Amino acid sequence: MKKFISVLICCLLLLAVMPGALAEEEILRVYNWQDYIDEGKDDDGAIIDKSVIQLWEEDFYGRTGRKVRVQYDTFETNETMLNTFKTGKTSYDLACPSDYVIQKMIAATKDGTDETIALEKYDLSKMENYQKYVSPYIANMFENHGWTEYAVGYMWGTVGILYNPENVKKEDVKTWDIFWNTDYKNRSTCKDVSRDAYVIGALHAYSDDLENLVGLYEKGEMKAEELQKAVNDVANDTRDVTIEMVKKELAEMKKNIYGFEVDTGKTDIVSGKIDANLAWSGDAVYAMDLAEEEDNKKLEFVIPKEGSTVWFDGWIMPTGANTELAQDFVDFLCRPDIAARNMNYIGYTSVIAGDNIYDMVCDNYGVEDGKLERDVTYFFKGTLSEDKYNKDGRIIIKTNDTDRQLFAQYPSEDETARLGIMEDFGDRNEKVLEMWSSVKSNEMSATTYVLMAVVLLILAVLLLFGIRNKQKRNKRRRRR
Amino acid sequence: MRKSSIFSRKVLAVPYAVFLLLFVVVPLVLIIVYAFTDSDGGFTINNFTSFFSEAHNINTLLISVLIGFLNTFICLLIGYPVAMLLAKKELGFGKATVLLFVMPMWINFVLRTAATRDLLFNIGLNGGEHPYIATMIGMVYNYLPFVILPLYTTMTKLDKSLLEASYDLGANKVQTFVRTLLPMTMPGIISASTMVFMPTMSSFVISDVMGERKISLIGNSIQLYFDQGLWHMGSLVALIMLVLMSVTAFFDDSGEENARGGLW
Repeated sequence: MKKFISVLICCLLLLAVMPGALAEEEILRVYNWQDYIDEGKDDDGAIIDKSVIQLWEEDFYGRTGRKVRVQYDTFETNETMLNTFKTGKTSYDLACPSDYVIQKMIAATKDGTDETIALEKYDLSKMENYQKYVSPYIANMFENHGWTEYAVGYMWGTVGILYNPENVKKEDVKTWDIFWNTDYKNRSTCKDVSRDAYVIGALHAYSDDLENLVGLYEKGEMKAEELQKAVNDVANDTRDVTIEMVKKELAEMKKNIYGFEVDTGKTDIVSGKIDANLAWSGDAVYAMDLAEEEDNKKLEFVIPKEGSTVWFDGWIMPTGANTELAQDFVDFLCRPDIAARNMNYIGYTSVIAGDNIYDMVCDNYGVEDGKLERDVTYFFKGTLSEDKYNKDGRIIIKTNDTDRQLFAQYPSEDETARLGIMEDFGDRNEKVLEMWSSVKSNEMSATTYVLMAVVLLILAVLLLFGIRNKQKRNKRRRRR
Repeated sequence: MRKSSIFSRKVLAVPYAVFLLLFVVVPLVLIIVYAFTDSDGGFTINNFTSFFSEAHNINTLLISVLIGFLNTFICLLIGYPVAMLLAKKELGFGKATVLLFVMPMWINFVLRTAATRDLLFNIGLNGGEHPYIATMIGMVYNYLPFVILPLYTTMTKLDKSLLEASYDLGANKVQTFVRTLLPMTMPGIISASTMVFMPTMSSFVISDVMGERKISLIGNSIQLYFDQGLWHMGSLVALIMLVLMSVTAFFDDSGEENARGGLW
């Protein structure tokens, strides 16, 4: 009897579990940068909260009653991601590449040259949160470049110089020339990324012209859009003459800087190995936080006066993607409270505005009775509730320090006027790369050549000896 | 006793043969195919000509050979006496001491190199100002164990009475070394050299970390090409390196001989 009851209970339990197990589970495949979503972990990697991915799964189940599992993979560079698509072995519903890759993909979609990286279009009417909370600044940029249909922004930032004000004079760092300035020989590092280095070289080569234009803008004789376009043109100028100029500039820069880096810059400036570092704004914020915690050091970030570039990462849906699920997931990420969580976790600036984001930024880096005002109207306009606006309709965040985290996260409107966008170099990319690998290759001095000659001589002698000995040996062996 | 057919030699070789085919032969063929095709798949030697028409590529090639050679030479210079001392039974160095020298190999080499970088910075030999010196130090540090180990093994195996015979026949220490010990340890020297020279040329992590990315070896250019999705150029450079390495492997062909080496 006992046995019968236990069997019965088992059967009942099984029945209770069955529907869940039998119902077909849908899968959403997401391909994102490493550490680029709130995984609910603390600094030591211990799980302290539900991850944003889990939250979406639950939220979607609550709204539709459908069970979806997110298959989440990560990549380390844009090129890795692109190669994954090009080999066509794995497919995804969503991926999060950077600006220039998105441009490349959109171009391939439009002219049909490469089907492996073609994209699906978004139906923005189904994306309420994005429509409501995306910053007007970002929405505008997307619209102007024709990306709106194909991509939804995620994080964005600028390229500038992170520096230690104790050892670097403020006026020196206000120009890209700091990397060429012999007062700071071996005290700065540049990114080992061909595209970023190229832009810096081009902006430095045309710095006089650009400074004139910025002067005109400041006097009110030039519109922001015109200046933006001028900077953009210089940053994306890949004519042969310019490539040749940039090559000379960068070769000279290489002699003056401490070195190139991709990930050590942040920690090197905190530990004091270097005093200035070409940095993405998000990394700069991270380094500033770190320096404050570890050494009580105050680092600063500046966008040089010649102008710079703005970058962003965005969500795209490759052809064949499950657009319904993908759009729902992206729109969930655009919910301001979720965007705030991600922004807080990653340290980069979200493209989403809204009360949650504004409050979080004020909390983190604002000072309630601060003497300075950062005007962020251009970014938050139209997304905040009434009480966040000043009487004159502006949106400001009060602070006491210039050029710190807040300034890095949100450039001023005047600064955005001199921010170009790095475009896809297209078929000029190989030329630029050739230039870059030539810059990266080694300077050959006379001593190196002498040394090389000596080495080759030794090698030749050794080889000769080897052959002769062997012949002798063979002869002797034959005799034996 | 009848041989069981399951364990016949042919069958035993199958796992490795499959491995060899999948992970050595096929990739090799792919590299060769990619090196001589363009992105449309047609045959071309453009990759080849464009590589050799750029002076900086040849510079990279030469520097790699130079650094590889210097590294081998310095490692041998330091490692040979150490191996000699370790192999001397009278000095009483046990296996434990040998392990001490080989131990750095057990620590992850990225970590080891990063630590060396910080160390050199603190003593003022940083890669920013002295990229070549810092890279060489990093290389020697990383590859020294690969020299000591094969040399030590050869030396413990060799017949000591031959050295005594050399002294008995009136040779002094230098003559004994040059005409007896050196030829007898030649197989060890050669296998040590190939174990150092080839990986040095193709390494890019050590030169990146120690030289602050100011030096580029062949390994770096291969990595740059593949990273940017230029597989055809990348394959060509990989192929060039492969050819260079097979040339050095030519020196290794006496490795088959026993420890008496080139003595007679």
